[in-house]
Amino acid sequence: MAPDTLLVLQHSPVYTMGKRPTEHNILTDVETLASLGATVHKARRGGDVTFHGPGQHVVYPVVDLRASELGARAYVEGLEDVMIDAAASFGVRATGRVPEMTGVWARGKKLGAVGVQISRGVASHGFAFNRDVDLRWFDAIVPCGLRGKGVTTLRDEVEGGREGGAPSAMEVEWRLIDAFAKRFGYVDVDATRVGAGDDDG
Amino acid sequence: MALRQFSRRVAAPMLNLRAAAPAMNARAMSTVIEGLKYMQSHEWAKVDGDVATIGITDHAQAELGDVVYVELPEVGSTVTHKETFGVVESVKAASDVYSPVTGEVIAINEDLADAPGKVNEGAFEDGWMMKVKMSNAGELDSLMDAAAYEKSCE
Repeated sequence: MAPDTLLVLQHSPVYTMGKRPTEHNILTDVETLASLGATVHKARRGGDVTFHGPGQHVVYPVVDLRASELGARAYVEGLEDVMIDAAASFGVRATGRVPEMTGVWARGKKLGAVGVQISRGVASHGFAFNRDVDLRWFDAIVPCGLRGKGVTTLRDEVEGGREGGAPSAMEVEWRLIDAFAKRFGYVDVDATRVGAGDDDG
Repeated sequence: MALRQFSRRVAAPMLNLRAAAPAMNARAMSTVIEGLKYMQSHEWAKVDGDVATIGITDHAQAELGDVVYVELPEVGSTVTHKETFGVVESVKAASDVYSPVTGEVIAINEDLADAPGKVNEGAFEDGWMMKVKMSNAGELDSLMDAAAYEKSCE
């Protein structure tokens, strides 16, 4: 079996729905979204509709939950903790394990989302952490089906509170990877950078 | 959850309540039911003739947390031993579920569409998922009994 793997990336603008029928939480028609450069996809993960795009770090851990003896809930909470730890490393206080509201929240706004699929004891999909994503993308949807809840970014949360400005993409990626390895007890992390890396960080 | 479903079962006939109470206490920590067949992946099968009623165990629902959506096969379709037959979604994890037996789906629990929480409230009762007309009863031999399943959960 392949070792547990962590894919860390940023998507082109895309709206995704989970397993449940949640089309009603996309407030703008597909054609309009397409004209803005975004596509809509149905994913096999859990959770409601969300947006992924530049400035948001998506982390897909492919983890053998059976081997690590983790239940689904413990795993999802662990992913929340990873984002909380990463945010804390930039001095941002975020909370997770909010009943009915999975994900990570800073000052009542969503900083990171979780959506996991488990098949044959192996977890895939994962979490999305907003570093410096254009929040206007979220206007087209009811993020995670939670009406009246705002979305925020790490940049907005550290603004003014940090020398040297907003954290870079590279910095945030490493903090997430580091937090993941610590939370789930990985000792050896073998990292490979793939692609052009033409991000804005 | 086991406690709640047990108390509901014994509470209806008042005369039995007294007699049933000690048994309820004794079973309060138990998450398995005797007489059912179990899979390592936490599904159960209750066999009646050539029909198996299938669901996920109390242990599985507890691990998953609040179930918000259940995807089931269509009546008339065929499910296969150890192959996925649906998806149970909780918090934010969508988890595949596997069929303990091969055969034709003759009924699904329609109530779960509107009330997926029944899987949490009574995993072994109102939270059942489908009934399958078995085409190979021999597959039951590969499943675990309650004691073996309970041990596998430890």
